[in-house]
Amino acid sequence: MPENDPIKRLLAAIAFTNDQSAYKELFILLHGRLKQFAYSILKSHEESEELVSDLFIKVWQKKDQLTTIESPLLYFYTSAKNMAYNRLSKQKRQVNSSPEEWLVQLNSVYFDPEQLMMTEEMMRQIRQAINTLPPRCRIIFKLVKEDGLKYKEVAELLQLSIKTVEAQMAIALRRLGKCMELEINQLNINTQATKKS
Amino acid sequence: MSQEQFWVLFSKKLTGEASAEELALLETLIQAHPEWQYAIQNLEDLWKTKAATDPITGEDAYMLHLHRMTEMQISFDDITGRSGNSVGKEKRSRRWYWVAASVVLLAGLLAFSSFYLFNRKTEEVAQHVNEISTRPGSKSKVQLPDGSVVWLNAGSKLTYTKDFGKETRDVTLIGEGFFDVTKNPGKPFIISAANIKIKVLGTAFNVKAYPEDKQTETSLIRGSIEVTIRNRPNDKIILSPSEKLVVENSEAKVEQVDKSADKTTGNIKRTELPVISTLVAINKLKYNPADSTVAEVQWVNNKLVFRDESFSEVAVRMERWYDVQIAIEDPGISDVRLTGVFESETIIQALEALKESIAFQYEKAGNRIIIHR
Repeated sequence: MPENDPIKRLLAAIAFTNDQSAYKELFILLHGRLKQFAYSILKSHEESEELVSDLFIKVWQKKDQLTTIESPLLYFYTSAKNMAYNRLSKQKRQVNSSPEEWLVQLNSVYFDPEQLMMTEEMMRQIRQAINTLPPRCRIIFKLVKEDGLKYKEVAELLQLSIKTVEAQMAIALRRLGKCMELEINQLNINTQATKKS
Repeated sequence: MSQEQFWVLFSKKLTGEASAEELALLETLIQAHPEWQYAIQNLEDLWKTKAATDPITGEDAYMLHLHRMTEMQISFDDITGRSGNSVGKEKRSRRWYWVAASVVLLAGLLAFSSFYLFNRKTEEVAQHVNEISTRPGSKSKVQLPDGSVVWLNAGSKLTYTKDFGKETRDVTLIGEGFFDVTKNPGKPFIISAANIKIKVLGTAFNVKAYPEDKQTETSLIRGSIEVTIRNRPNDKIILSPSEKLVVENSEAKVEQVDKSADKTTGNIKRTELPVISTLVAINKLKYNPADSTVAEVQWVNNKLVFRDESFSEVAVRMERWYDVQIAIEDPGISDVRLTGVFESETIIQALEALKESIAFQYEKAGNRIIIHR
């Protein structure tokens, strides 16, 4: 999960020493996430790819200014959001400025059951729970879980209060927790059933 | 405590957003509900599981990105990246803020690709600047399109435009460089460095112009060069072989020419000195009688040579040489004069050797070294 400190170090290396291996590292670190984020707004893979490339051109051009940013991660997501909106308005496409209209892909559903001590049934339930999260909850969950943003950064990016982010994260976790409660109940039922027989 | 509050606190714990009080509160809550333990454990495991990322997609995308930059005529010195050369990436010392680093491939330089000007304050895309730079702790030798050779000392940067060699051969230097310039009387070679401008026709000399140093030094080994000081554009100082020109970097000083300039051939016209002048001195380069070398250019031969320099001056040079930061906390020892040579010594060996001459203790943490009695 990318966090601000390693990104800050890379940005410093880029600005202070023109370090292109750091530039490449930063690109590879953020490319996938930023592209997915851009895709949720633009709904075009090609354009999202272009947007990330444009954003990184900006990074090189403005590298001296980027070292003082407190939250580079927020900077990257906000820039991606603004650049996506600009593209939409240039193409006279409707700007879906409400995050609830974004098409958010979640990668968390593709976890490896082998790594977790969980049953197939439980996995299925979790996937379903993730896939059926309400739109706003979904984007917030993605930004926190998969993109590594802090509550404060999500709130700023989506123009919400921190309390809202807090509440939406609680909803997402409670829904996932429910899948596991069910499992407990089933376990209890099974043990009871075994005892009876 | 409601279930809703439990989920708020628990998600804050997972995401690292919870305060100490919140964590304590959550802990007591969990202890009161042992039946939640199973779900909590699973959710914690699930949270730690990372969605698989595909580094190959990132690599491919980076190739496309570079290709796009080239098409858009936006590029930087080394288009292929140098993954093997990223040592010291985490160094963030402000000292080196604008003394660029990283050795740039010669190929990129000769290809005349378009670069960004290091001075990006204008936000302007300057597409015609080539840039060669070295990080602290490393040196580089480059050949310019006219065949001139420049050795760049640690933490230095040399830039020149696409027009290099068309009418004149203009370069800008930050830091230290040894120049061996090919003869071409029709196209003067001009170096801008700190507060001086040097015009050459064909010669070998060393320029030391680190922004953080008090002085800019020009040492001429052979040939002849003409130096102009920025705030005295009408005065031309001609250096003869084996002479060293030292210019104080503080411009506000009201000073006459240093006494040692009297010994020179009288190229400085004292009568024309402006009221606010820069302290200028011309000294004779001291050759080592044993091997007739000059301390000023020994770095080209991979030697850090200091002759009768203060400990604080030596420390600054060691910082560049070894890519470290040295803080001398005892002012009593910073003025001690030192003479010596470091060649293959590590920083530790060098410090141990210095301890033979000066009584001090040091502590090293990462690349920071603190020196005290």
